[in-house]
Amino acid sequence: MLQTLEGGQNGPRLSVTTPLEEVEAAAAVTDVLVLDFDAFRDGRGFSLAAVLRERGYAGRLIAAGKVLPDQARHLRRSGFDAVELAPGADTTAWDRMDQAFSASYQPAVDPAPTIWQRRRAASNDRDLDALADRLNRETAGKDASEIVKAALDPALGLRVGAISSFGAESAALLDIIASENRDVPVVFLETGQHFLQTLSYRTQLTKALGLTDVRLVTPDASEKATLDARDDLWKTNADACCDLRKVRPLARATAGFNALITGRKRYQASTRAKLKPFEVLDGVLRINPLANWDADDVEAWLDENDLPRHPLVEQGYRSIGCWPCTRAVQDGEDTRAGRWSGMDKVECGIHLGRRQVAA
Amino acid sequence: MYRYDEFDHALVRERVEEFSDQVARRASGALTEDEFKPLRLMNGVYLQLHAYMLRVAIPYGTFNSRQMRRLAHIARTYDKGYGHFTTRTNIQYNWPALTDLPSILSDLAEVEMHAIQTSGNCIRNTTTDVFAGAADDEIEDPRPWCEIIRQWSTIHPEFSFLPRKFKIAVIGAEKDRAAIRTHDVGLQIVRGADGGTAFRVFVGGGQGRLPHIGQEIASRVPAADLLAYLTAILRAWNLLGRRDNIHKARIKILVASVGLEAFREEVDKHYATLRHEDLRIPEDEAARIQAYFAPPPFEALPKASAPFDRALLADPDFARFARNNVRRHRQSGYASVVVSLKPVGGVPGDITADQMDAVADLAERYSFDELRAAYEQNLVLPHVKLDEVPALWRALHEVGLATANADLATDVIACPGLDYCSLANARSIPVAQALSKRLADMDYQEKLGPVRINMSGCINACGHHHVGHIGVLGVDRKGEEYYQITVGGSPDEQAALGDIVGKSLPADEVVPAIQRTLDRYLEIRTDGERFIDTVRRVGPDPFRDAIYETLDAANA
Repeated sequence: MLQTLEGGQNGPRLSVTTPLEEVEAAAAVTDVLVLDFDAFRDGRGFSLAAVLRERGYAGRLIAAGKVLPDQARHLRRSGFDAVELAPGADTTAWDRMDQAFSASYQPAVDPAPTIWQRRRAASNDRDLDALADRLNRETAGKDASEIVKAALDPALGLRVGAISSFGAESAALLDIIASENRDVPVVFLETGQHFLQTLSYRTQLTKALGLTDVRLVTPDASEKATLDARDDLWKTNADACCDLRKVRPLARATAGFNALITGRKRYQASTRAKLKPFEVLDGVLRINPLANWDADDVEAWLDENDLPRHPLVEQGYRSIGCWPCTRAVQDGEDTRAGRWSGMDKVECGIHLGRRQVAA
Repeated sequence: MYRYDEFDHALVRERVEEFSDQVARRASGALTEDEFKPLRLMNGVYLQLHAYMLRVAIPYGTFNSRQMRRLAHIARTYDKGYGHFTTRTNIQYNWPALTDLPSILSDLAEVEMHAIQTSGNCIRNTTTDVFAGAADDEIEDPRPWCEIIRQWSTIHPEFSFLPRKFKIAVIGAEKDRAAIRTHDVGLQIVRGADGGTAFRVFVGGGQGRLPHIGQEIASRVPAADLLAYLTAILRAWNLLGRRDNIHKARIKILVASVGLEAFREEVDKHYATLRHEDLRIPEDEAARIQAYFAPPPFEALPKASAPFDRALLADPDFARFARNNVRRHRQSGYASVVVSLKPVGGVPGDITADQMDAVADLAERYSFDELRAAYEQNLVLPHVKLDEVPALWRALHEVGLATANADLATDVIACPGLDYCSLANARSIPVAQALSKRLADMDYQEKLGPVRINMSGCINACGHHHVGHIGVLGVDRKGEEYYQITVGGSPDEQAALGDIVGKSLPADEVVPAIQRTLDRYLEIRTDGERFIDTVRRVGPDPFRDAIYETLDAANA
C-alpha cells in the first residue's frame, strides 16, 4: 500500500519536469528521492519512477505536490513508496482509492500478481477433478456436440487438443469437433506401422472436414534406434512397441494441452465400461463426447452426415490400429477383437495412465 | 467474440464504484471541478453545449445482440430514444442526466460493456478493420491483439495522465480499412522472419489542427514484444511530449519536431532497459484470447447462391443494395453486409432504439449473433449466408436501414458539430443532411462510384475531413459559420491529407460546390477511374475551378 506522510520529507527534491538524465544522476547518489508534481495532470512523474525502478534504483521514492487520491494506485504501481501530503489531508480517501481495484491487467513495477498471471495460475492449478465432476453434471443428458462445445468454451481457459487414430469410427467425432471449431489441434500418432489405407483416409478426412491443425507425431528417432532398429518389436513385445510408438510420443505431443478429446466409447471394451464424458488422467482433462454411443450410433451419424468411410471397413475391419496387430473381425465378434488378437492385451496404453503402462 | 471472466467483471464493477466515489467527493467539494474533469472524462462523461454526454466504448467495434439491445434500452430509458455512432466505433448518448450515470454504467457492466477511457488524456478505444475475421485478404484476425491492447491499456498506471489522448488502430491485411496512418500508433500484422505474427508499426499520425500521416518506425516487431514496444513509444512521448500547449501535445508533433530517426533512437533506448520478460504477452494468455475469436461454425456452401441470384434479377432495388452494401467474404457462400446509418437527409451515425433492437434481432438470426461498428459510422453484419441476404435486406428495409449507399457520395462521415459539441465552430449535421438530399439520386451516386466525403465542425477533425476525398471543415468567420473545402485526402494504405482549395464558403454554397466538384470529375475521368484516382492524376486545380466558378462569376 502507498504510505501517506504528513509534512515536508527530507531528501533531494526534483520537479517531475526535470529531464530524465538529471533525475537519474540525482538518484545515483541518494537513497531517498522526492518527485514533485507541478500539476496532477502532468503524468511525467509516473514514467520517471518506472524508469528509475527498472534501471535499478532501490531507494525510497516519494511523490509530492499536486497529486490526487485517485492517483494513489498509479503512484504505487509506478514505483513510489509514499506520498507527501499537507497536514490535515484526508488520508482515508487515499487509502480507499489505493485499494479500489482488486487486480490490474498489466504488469507494472509493483509485485502484486497481475490478472494475466492469476488467470494462468488458475488454469494450471485448478482442481480438474472438480471441473470434470461439474462438467459431467452440467452436460448430463446432453448430446456429443454439446459436450464438445462445453469443453471448448473459452471461459474455461482450457488448452484443448484431440487425439484421433483416423480409424473405422473416427469420422464421427472429428466431424463433431470440426463443426464447433476446425482449428482444434488433432494429434495423430504416426507409428510408422499404419495401413496405407489409414494414411490416405487421414488425408481425405482432413480435407473433407476442413481440419486446419492435424499434427503427425512420430516416435523419437534415437529411442527407436535403440529399442526397435528393425521394426519388429511388435513380434516379441507388443506393449513395449506401443509404448515406443504411441504412449511416449503422445506424452510429448500433448504436453502443451491440459484437455484432450478422445473418441472412446463404453461399448468398445470392458476396460471402458465405466467411461464418463469428462474424467481426469495424469493431470489432464479427458473429454469423451461419445462415451455412451454404440456402434449403431456411429453408423447412423456417418450415414446422416454422409461422411467418408475408412477403406478397410468394407473388408471387415471394425477397429483399426497398426497393421501388424490388427485383423478383421467376424460377425458376432467384439469390435476390438481384431486388436492384438491372440494376446492378453486390449489397450495400447495411451488411455491407461502412467502407472499402468507396461514397462 | 471476447467474453468477460471473473477478473474482467470485477474490474468493470470496481470502476463503477470508483466513479461513484469520485462523484460523491465532487458533490462534497473534496474535488474541485478542475480535478474532477479528467476523472469523469476517463469514464466517458463530457459536458456538452446543452447537457452531459456519455460515450460508451465498443472495443474494436465488435459486439453482440444482447449488448445492442442494452444500448437500445439505455437510449430509451435514459436518453431521447436514440444514440450516435462515432468515428472511434463508440456510441454516444447526448442527453443523459448526471444522476443517471451510475445506473447506466451498471447496466452496461451487466452486458460486459463500459465507458472506460473513451475520453481523456489516456489510451483510447483501439479500432480495427470492420471486416476483421471476415475479409478474404486478411493474414490474421487483428481483434485478439486489440483485446490484448485493451486489457493492457485499461487503467494503466504509467499512461493515464499523458500529454494528450492516444489512439491505436490495428489491421490484419495489406489493405487499410481502419485508417491506421492517421493514428498515434498504427499497427499492421505482417509475417515475422520466423513466420510468426509480427507488427509493422507506424507512429505520429493524427488529424486535428496539425495533421500528419504516420511514419514507419519499425517493420517487424514480434508479437510477443508488442506491449514492450508500445510501452517504449508511450514512455518516450510521456517524458518528452509538450505539455505547455494543448495543440502541440500529441505524439505527431513530437515526432515531427525531433524527426523520425531521433524519435526512434529515443524509443530504442527505452526499449533496451524495459523489463521485457514482464511485458512479454504470455503465450497461453494470447491463445486463450485468440480462442474467443475462432471463426463461427460456417456451413460448407457453394460460391454461388440461387436465392441471391434470383433476387438480383427480380428486384432492382435489391440488386443495387447487393452492388453497394454487400462485401466479399473469406468463406464461400457468405458475405458481409453494410447497414448504412446514412439515410437520405438523416444525421450520419444516428440510430433509434427501435432500429437498434431490430439490428440486434437480425444479427442473431443471420450473422452468428455478431455485429460490428465501422469508423465510417455504419454497422456491419459480418457473416451472412448469401442465401439469406435477400431476406435480411427486406427486414432492413422495413426498419429504414436498407440505404444502398455504402462508400458512395452520401455515405458521409460527420461529427456532431455545433448542434451538440462545445468545441465546434460550425454545424456539420445540417450540411451533411443538405448534401444527402441534394445527391439523393442513387443512379447519380452509382455513376460517381466510391467517394468519401467527410465533414468536421471544427479543427479537431472528429469528422476526419483531412482524409476525405472531399473534406469539409467548419470555421468561424466573424461569428458566422463558414466551410473550408479540401480535395484529395485519403485514409487508406495510400494515406494523404487533402489540399485546401481556397477561401472558405458560406453554408448555403457548400453543397452546390461539392456537386460541381463531382460533376467536374465525371467530365474528366478516364474509363473506370475512381474519384480519388482522378484527383491524384490531375491535381486539385480543376476542382478548385469548379468549386469557385460561379462564386467568381458572381463576384466579377
